[in-house]
Amino acid sequence: MASVFESFQRLGPAAFVLEAILAAVILDGLLLGFILLRRGYRRRFFARRDARVFDIRQQWAAIISGTLPFDTWRNKPFDCHIVQAIALDAFEAAEPTESAQLRKFLRSSGLVDRLIFDAQQLHGWRQRRALVALGRTRAPEGIATLAEGLRDRPLETRLAALRGLSRTASPEAAQEILRWVGEVGLAVPPLPLQDALVQCCAENPQVLLPHLRRAQGAVREVLGRVLGEVATPALGRELLEFAKDELSELRAATARGLGHAPPALALEVLGVLAQDPVWFVRLRALVGLAKLSDSGAVPLLLRGLSDTNRLVRLRAAEGLVKPETEMVPVFAQVAACEDQYGLHAYFTALENAGLRAKLEAELATSPRVSELERKRLFDLLRSGKRPAEPLSKTTPLGTGPHP
Amino acid sequence: MIRFLDLANHGFFYYYLVCNLTYLVLLIVALKTSVAHQHRLESLRLSWLKETPLVPPITILVPAHNEEKSIRIAVHNLLSLDYPELEVIAINDGSQDRTLQELQEEFHLRPVNVVYVPHIQCARVRGLYRSDTQPRLLVVDKEPGGNKADAVNAGLNAATSPYVCVVDADSVLERDALLRIMVPILMDPKRVVSVGGIVRVLNGSEIQSGSILRVRLPKKGLEVIQVIEYLRAFLIGREGWGDGNMLMIISGAFGLFRTDLVRAVGGYRARAIGEDFDLVARLHRYLLEHKADYRIQFMPDPVCWTEVPSDLRSLGRQRARWQKGLLDVLWPNRNMLFRPRYGRIGSIALPYLWVFELFAPVIEMGGISAIILAACFGALSRHFFFQFLLFGYAFATVISIGAVLQEEITYKRYNDWQDMVRLVSYCFLEHFPYRQLHMIWRLQGLWQYIRGDMVWRAMRRKGLQSARTE
Repeated sequence: MASVFESFQRLGPAAFVLEAILAAVILDGLLLGFILLRRGYRRRFFARRDARVFDIRQQWAAIISGTLPFDTWRNKPFDCHIVQAIALDAFEAAEPTESAQLRKFLRSSGLVDRLIFDAQQLHGWRQRRALVALGRTRAPEGIATLAEGLRDRPLETRLAALRGLSRTASPEAAQEILRWVGEVGLAVPPLPLQDALVQCCAENPQVLLPHLRRAQGAVREVLGRVLGEVATPALGRELLEFAKDELSELRAATARGLGHAPPALALEVLGVLAQDPVWFVRLRALVGLAKLSDSGAVPLLLRGLSDTNRLVRLRAAEGLVKPETEMVPVFAQVAACEDQYGLHAYFTALENAGLRAKLEAELATSPRVSELERKRLFDLLRSGKRPAEPLSKTTPLGTGPHP
Repeated sequence: MIRFLDLANHGFFYYYLVCNLTYLVLLIVALKTSVAHQHRLESLRLSWLKETPLVPPITILVPAHNEEKSIRIAVHNLLSLDYPELEVIAINDGSQDRTLQELQEEFHLRPVNVVYVPHIQCARVRGLYRSDTQPRLLVVDKEPGGNKADAVNAGLNAATSPYVCVVDADSVLERDALLRIMVPILMDPKRVVSVGGIVRVLNGSEIQSGSILRVRLPKKGLEVIQVIEYLRAFLIGREGWGDGNMLMIISGAFGLFRTDLVRAVGGYRARAIGEDFDLVARLHRYLLEHKADYRIQFMPDPVCWTEVPSDLRSLGRQRARWQKGLLDVLWPNRNMLFRPRYGRIGSIALPYLWVFELFAPVIEMGGISAIILAACFGALSRHFFFQFLLFGYAFATVISIGAVLQEEITYKRYNDWQDMVRLVSYCFLEHFPYRQLHMIWRLQGLWQYIRGDMVWRAMRRKGLQSARTE
């Protein structure tokens, strides 16, 4: 009797089609088999893991205190991964006292050393996972290894190292990142780099300044943005040197940073930046002025209402609409500006903040406006449009100190 | 004649072979990309993204036309998404039902006088509303524009964020969908201009207050077949094409775009039948003509659940419209074909769409006719016929099971054993007679387009309540 293959051969030209059918049927079977096997395996794996997680959680106090010898779980990779995952999750959410205990546990149990070893020896996604986990331990001894990871060839590994460093949130990590950026330039996308630097420089933003003075091009832009995010009042005077920088990003960052500075120091510089030729510098300056909550900022914000850029006008209006302030004098000054676009921006900010009713109530009872003026302002508020005759003929109300 | 029929039959066989081989290649690429993506996510925790002050704001645009059944749940769902900087704009596109009233009652809307700059042309805006309870919500009430594109354009005019996300009102986004869809943008904000998420079938799942409680397969066979189709289209097709930066469609139900670019290309084309496909095609054209270094990506894990048609009539209308939309985009862009300036879009993606998507129902119909004619003339080789049939069946099943495998090893939303068994079973059952019906609907779509019949035929929807609620 001829074999099946011989029968196939006899079919001649159709053999190719038959082979294709056979291949497709076998592939169907393989795919189905794989799905079923994988399901079964995963089901058992997760059941086992859940049971083990439960056991480990039951003994958690003994594990982290060291009462249960570390070797009982450290030499079993399955248990070791579970303990590491639980410890790192707990560490991220821990209060200071618990955090100190967990840090001690991570060190004394050898988990930090293991992660350092893994981050140095492994490759691919296993190395990346170790790098991020190492950062999550916030162990200073891991920073050098993470910094090495920054110099790795694959972009994904560099990003993982950067994320690890950002989790340490320490100035030492910031120094490592800044040194690396100084050496190689922008070797990762800007956002993860900015994010890592924001995390690491938050405690001590001064570490940025020397690098910022030396940096050029895209790196300077990134560092400028970081400076804008982490600037604190303590940084006030140092920021001033960047107010006249050629790079608009840096001027914008300065404006953002000056929002946290004392008004006496920031007001004048922000006033200058609020007239910058670049729109986003003006926008940042107006946001900064609004943050100052100083009466001296009001005329500058009013000027911003007449800006040529819609977003700038909106930010200026948002700065003028504040629930804690007396709103009628500011509204009267906005009305006196005689700028329909500015007025519209002001109404938008008022509506967005849900403060229209408050303004109406204040306007109805305010002793600072005459009856005629009150009527005009009410008309303006209701119609949303400037009246035919200019409002500036009325006495400006904003002469007194603004709250 | 007989010689011609014989040649035609062989031609159809090789056409089918190439089409399925392309899908097989896409499946392999998609599997590789998905696994790499899973590993990437291991070193990127989404909660960290939430903490950073650097994530760019997003405006979600929800066009709603006669969506009184879904609109409350849809807007609640969007407002509860995990994202630090979010604005939701619901656009009532001249609904004749209680869509606006539903919004007014649920969110205590008040008319506001805010800045609205009509950069992009759209039907007249009747009013803008803000909510007393949800400060991040803006409602745009406009006159009917006759299509979704017009409503989205009105929302685009009111949007204030650098990124806009267009979401259908009858869809439900998973809580972390925005964080996930932003991952490629955060990694490469200069190059990534648009990202599409995956759309999955909502029918059959349990939802509560706009959130998915439990994912289940739908009960009706017609809906299960659509689950397989969606898995195949997204997890294989879009994942594969996206990997090669040749993604030609980002689903209208859930896609993220750079606002400035959408405005630069003039927003959505109001008369487009497939406005989502049309926008992506115009973005490609615009960026390639400006020699931009860009990426349009697909992300398989930001999930949008949407209701699919549950009766043949509605499904037929939907598929006919999709086919019309395809021709409506491919025809005006025919000058992109094989022009070097349009790179791989002009030389690979668009030709593929012409040959294997647009002409597919015509060729399939031709194949069936040729077989019938050959049988009439006594020229049909019974061997060949059965082999072709068996081969087509087995190979198409490989692709469908491949899509289920891709789902299984990566995102695994259908956890129930019963669901998995049903899903796999339908991989074998979808070919007869659903596939032939599908072909007829697509032919109808082409015929309607050629006749100039652009009428929007409404689909019967049950609203988000159709999902089992607890």
